[in-house]
Amino acid sequence: MLVPIYTLKLNHKINPRMVTMGKFDGVHPCLTAATQAGKVFIHNPHSRGQRQASHRLSQSGQDSDISLLNINQAVSCLTAGALVPNATGHALLVASQTNLLAYDVHDNADIFYREVTDGANAIVLGKLADIQSPLAIVGGNCAIQGFDYGGNDQFWTVTGDNVRSLVLCDFTGDGKNELLVGSEDFDIRVFREDELVCEMAENETVTSLCHIHSSRFGYALANGTVGVYDHTARYWRIKSKNHAMSIHAFDLNDDGVVELITGWSNGKIDARSDRTGEVIFKDNFSSSVAGLVEGDYRMDGHVQLICTSVEGEVRGYLPASKDLKGNLMDVSVEQDLVRELSQRKHNLLLELRNYEEHGKAGTGASEAEAQMGVIPANTQLQTALSVQAASESQRGHVELSISTPNETIIRAVLIFAEGIFEGESHVVHPSALNLSGCVCVPIIPPKDIPVDLHIKAFVGGRTSTQFHVFEITRQLPRFSMYDLHVDPSTPAPTGRVSFSISDRPQRVVMWLNQNFLLPEAISSPDVTFTSLRGGGLLTISMRSSGEITLQTDDIELAGDLVQSLAVFLAIEDLPTEADFPACFEQLRGTLTEVDEFHAVRQKMTAAIGDHSNHIRNMLVQAEDARLMGDLKTMKKRYIELYDLNRDLISEYKIRSNNHSALLSRLKAVNQAIQRAGRLRVGKPKNQVISACRDAIKNNNVNALFKIMKAGTASC
Amino acid sequence: MDLNLNHIDYLQVGVTSQKTMKLLPAVGRKATQKVAVADHDGVVNCFGMKKGEAVPVFKSLPGQKISRLELGGALGTPQEKIFVCSGSEVRGYTKKGKQFLSFEANLTESINAMHVSGADLFICASYIYNHYYDCKDQDYYLSGDKINDIVCLPVERVGRTVPVLACQDRILRMLQGSELLYDVKVPGPPSVLGLHNRDGGKDGEEVLYGTADGKLGLVQFTSSAPVSKWEVDNEKKKGGVLCIDTFDIFGDGVKDILIGRDDGTVEVYGLDSSNEPTLRFEHVLSESVTSIQGGCVGKESYDEILTATYTGWVSGLTTEPQQMEAGPGDEVKMSRETQAKVAALRAELEQLQVKVMQGREKYQQSAQSSTAVSAVPLFSINDRFTLCQDDASYTLTLEVQTAIDNLLLQSDVPIDLLDVDKNSAVVSFSECDSEPNGNFLLATYRCQANTTRLELKVRSIEGQYGTLQAYITPRLQPKTCQVRQYQIKPLSLHQRTHSINQDRPMNILRLVGQFSFAEIHSWVVFCLPEVPEKTPAGENITYYFQNTFLGTQLEAIYCKGEGNFRSDNISTISILKDVLSKEATKRKINLNISYEVNEDSVSHTLKMIHPKLEYQLLLAKKVQLIDALKELQVHEGNADFLIPEYRSILDESARLLEEYKKQPAHLERLYGMITDLFIDKFKFKGQNVKTKVSQLLEILDNYDLNSLIDFFNDA
Repeated sequence: MLVPIYTLKLNHKINPRMVTMGKFDGVHPCLTAATQAGKVFIHNPHSRGQRQASHRLSQSGQDSDISLLNINQAVSCLTAGALVPNATGHALLVASQTNLLAYDVHDNADIFYREVTDGANAIVLGKLADIQSPLAIVGGNCAIQGFDYGGNDQFWTVTGDNVRSLVLCDFTGDGKNELLVGSEDFDIRVFREDELVCEMAENETVTSLCHIHSSRFGYALANGTVGVYDHTARYWRIKSKNHAMSIHAFDLNDDGVVELITGWSNGKIDARSDRTGEVIFKDNFSSSVAGLVEGDYRMDGHVQLICTSVEGEVRGYLPASKDLKGNLMDVSVEQDLVRELSQRKHNLLLELRNYEEHGKAGTGASEAEAQMGVIPANTQLQTALSVQAASESQRGHVELSISTPNETIIRAVLIFAEGIFEGESHVVHPSALNLSGCVCVPIIPPKDIPVDLHIKAFVGGRTSTQFHVFEITRQLPRFSMYDLHVDPSTPAPTGRVSFSISDRPQRVVMWLNQNFLLPEAISSPDVTFTSLRGGGLLTISMRSSGEITLQTDDIELAGDLVQSLAVFLAIEDLPTEADFPACFEQLRGTLTEVDEFHAVRQKMTAAIGDHSNHIRNMLVQAEDARLMGDLKTMKKRYIELYDLNRDLISEYKIRSNNHSALLSRLKAVNQAIQRAGRLRVGKPKNQVISACRDAIKNNNVNALFKIMKAGTASC
Repeated sequence: MDLNLNHIDYLQVGVTSQKTMKLLPAVGRKATQKVAVADHDGVVNCFGMKKGEAVPVFKSLPGQKISRLELGGALGTPQEKIFVCSGSEVRGYTKKGKQFLSFEANLTESINAMHVSGADLFICASYIYNHYYDCKDQDYYLSGDKINDIVCLPVERVGRTVPVLACQDRILRMLQGSELLYDVKVPGPPSVLGLHNRDGGKDGEEVLYGTADGKLGLVQFTSSAPVSKWEVDNEKKKGGVLCIDTFDIFGDGVKDILIGRDDGTVEVYGLDSSNEPTLRFEHVLSESVTSIQGGCVGKESYDEILTATYTGWVSGLTTEPQQMEAGPGDEVKMSRETQAKVAALRAELEQLQVKVMQGREKYQQSAQSSTAVSAVPLFSINDRFTLCQDDASYTLTLEVQTAIDNLLLQSDVPIDLLDVDKNSAVVSFSECDSEPNGNFLLATYRCQANTTRLELKVRSIEGQYGTLQAYITPRLQPKTCQVRQYQIKPLSLHQRTHSINQDRPMNILRLVGQFSFAEIHSWVVFCLPEVPEKTPAGENITYYFQNTFLGTQLEAIYCKGEGNFRSDNISTISILKDVLSKEATKRKINLNISYEVNEDSVSHTLKMIHPKLEYQLLLAKKVQLIDALKELQVHEGNADFLIPEYRSILDESARLLEEYKKQPAHLERLYGMITDLFIDKFKFKGQNVKTKVSQLLEILDNYDLNSLIDFFNDA
């Protein structure tokens, strides 16, 4: 059994996912983590008591091995590593929602301090693609920014939603690093600089990513899923009711291949084989795991896996020695094997018994048999998917109807599907009075994604206590919430996107038939749908010259259609022309708002300075009064101080409201750019994104719209 | 002394009931013992271990489910005859497997407990006790509640026949002939009895008992009065006790008490110098332990604890050290015996696979025919739905003989589903449509592989009653699911007690009408848990109950045509009044309901709630402060500057947090009950005060007992 080689209690809480390991003097690794009250602590057991408190750094009163770094803002993410070329020590990078600090711990000096307007949810440090110097890459609200050691903005791109996890690795195997981005729109995207290499759709917010080896990487989702991808294909995944707090790749059984180590919210740590997901080791903390890092913490040439809990407990594990023979858990292999085989035998025997007894069953007339849920052997379930337009009582939805061909009834229907229900399942359980052989399930997929519906229907008689379980899988096509019925009074959409393809119309018809839920196959590529979500129209038309026009007011839908069609027709680069007057108008409004909020913010920042001077004065006066014994004045001053404090708090609230409003507007801007990008495919897409960015930097709103419409600023 | 026991699996049989495995006495000194085990397939299996291999001695033919297995024989000779009961029949086998006895007891119910002593046979079937001598009827007794187990004090030591019954109504009944000699009140429903030291201990009069709520005790049954020796509480909320044995596993000359519980825990209690029990060893198996016995089975001169579990695994916890002789290679070398065993198992599996494939094909073929029916035999489920006294919530445990795939929970009353740490299944709540299908809870549990046992916690609200249904689908082909129903009674949080405090101010509800004793009893059964379904003998009956959440009490005295219910909690009376009048109306019985409301009872109940409420409020307040105080501590470096009160909060923070976590929504529940109390008080006065509830909640937010009582009085 593998046991930790050391256990430390740090007496400092550790913020989840904010743990790193840095060699700040170039030699000694130090565990560094964000703690409460906007502080970062650096645990350095190697150079006890040599450090002088100065600048940002102060010695902790409780523990001499720990130095505290005051950030004075809630830390949102941190990392450490080599940032400055030719420097011996690592730099510490700490980000809050508004700022990024690069700090040289050894010299007690700031390397740079930058404002990050788009927030910072995740940070990673390293080399990206062809960019020469290492970058500190910060993922914020829909935007990703990379800074070099001078604090210069070297890299910028947008992504679909708030970034939650980042990792750098050589995904394509070309010897250069790509950036993997996990975001709140459930996607994992791979960027080579600002070019999107590929996208993988998951079904929850991607909270952690970690590189395993070559093109294999691990991921964790907010719903408790942990898994491994190899390139764009999922290798394995498991789901737990707990949440994965941190994942890390480490070779714990010393077989030369790293395992995926997961730290869970209930304090469990497990190591799983990267190939099968089989658990080879597990251990427990008393509180949630905060982070997993590795480092040679004992300075003896052996790298340990270091696990930390939110309560500040630290455990180090050395890779298992040879005599454990890969058997890290305290189990007997033989016993387990025998038990597993016996269990299998037992199950087979039970199944066999089922078949034997099945033959003996009678007509289903007796009471005992009615309880058993005897059904005709030829019972088969019929399922059908259809689009139902909105009615007075119900919103527009996709209807799944399940029925039995005979007098048997459906007691309940369970549908397991990812990403379309609140949980992972949806249940229909009619009351005893409403039992029948037919059940209709309304489904409203929130997003346009293809979904596999795993249906389990319990079929039996009315008085049965046992039911047959029918398991059926149906696929819901990507664009299922679009109805062919069109109300002639609906105004035609104003937005449109048009492009030319060289494929035959039949191919487009095929794409339509595969991706839309149609009552019967269509033969012409010119169709009009009503969206069941917003009620607006979607018109697709294709000229014989190969020019396709999509008309809709929903710019996101247009983007999804373009992307889906491009994938289907295997188009690598597709320039398009687009016009979405409503969206553009909204964006124009948002941009003006951004300017306003910026102005307000600057004004308020100035006010803070005034107030703090005021406070200082008052405090001095109050203390003077106290020393003089003039209690009356002292009381008066303190009351004034109290009032001022109240003002400050209310002002703070205004500021934070202002700030969050600003953030949401900036996010909207980034999203608009992303959507404009998604109307194109390949190179034209990257061009649009970078051109938009330039236009925003130069505050050229008209150019921005021109780019969004035409794809470039020049024409 | 530390006990190190290694777990070894011996054999798997069918599903087993409580107390269905025994060790036959050893032949000669230091020899291994044979094991006799009986299962639900009706098979008695007797085997011994030879070189790690189970060697059968005999195996009977399948038949009806066997509910008990006991050993017997002429007094003074080795007890090596095997007696089993199935249905209403008792069978006897010699140790060679020859059936020498078949005795039909001619009972309408099946036997669920049995004791054999010489030529005396004692059997119990739900409420009935029968004593036979040489298969001739001797004595008869009808118990007030279900009989769970029976033992007799050893005749050779006490010189007379003394049966002791463990009855569901928390009473051990000691009989003399057909008469009750005296009864002993125990703290929970006793589920199992065992003779202390296997021979009744001192004077042969000591009996161990275990309860369904996990308690343990020793009672001495003297000829005149019972003497309670000790009781062990179930503080860690382990499962209910299913089996007891006494055996000197430590080898120190003192017999230890071996306990098997329904959550898979195996415990060894030692008796210290003052004869008080202390826990000395604990091991957790994955499923309920149905039988336990100390002895020597696997290898000569190594004592062990033999257990049988629900799914039929017979395994040992042996003192024999596990050989860890590792070979020179990298792989752990398996011993030759295990290798042979594994090979045999694999061969057997292959054969079975073929058979199962054939079965499957045949089953598929039958689906083509229009006349055939599909009937799958019922699989067995071991389920319990019990009220947990400590947190006033219900625990639902489900155990199936093979792995559970998923579980659907449906309820037609509002209940809360709580998270259980032990449970690793992924839960997902589905949207409920209370109209027209009457669903208030729809949740699915998707189980991890190899889960045979699930534990859930459910919190109910008094006054809201209905049914909770569980649909269990095991991983067994052809897939079927079984539904189990659990009643949520109107007074679901009440529990039977032995007596109540008569000094409290009581409210009285009196029913007079043309109803029979059986009718009013059925209403009481409908309202309250832990009441036997059978109408009690005699003309009238008195039951006492306690509210597990508030500690208020209820007394029910009723007979034909009249019922009196007294409680210090006016809400209890109000619920009873509503439900009883509804039930009577359903059966078209005219009821004359009168009540006496004691004004003092309301303030009395409030005073009873007061300490709980105050404690909870204080706890909530303290927990709220913890984070802020910790931050201050980090900021200042130590906690010396804080006032002692805050310092103590910091010191106790871990305990406080744990306690707070353990009872979620405790405060809300208390608030709910106070609100009910308020509404009910005025309901009896004919006033509707629902409009004033918001005022009440305001008062609760700034809680003070006196102002609350004033509010109740003034409103």
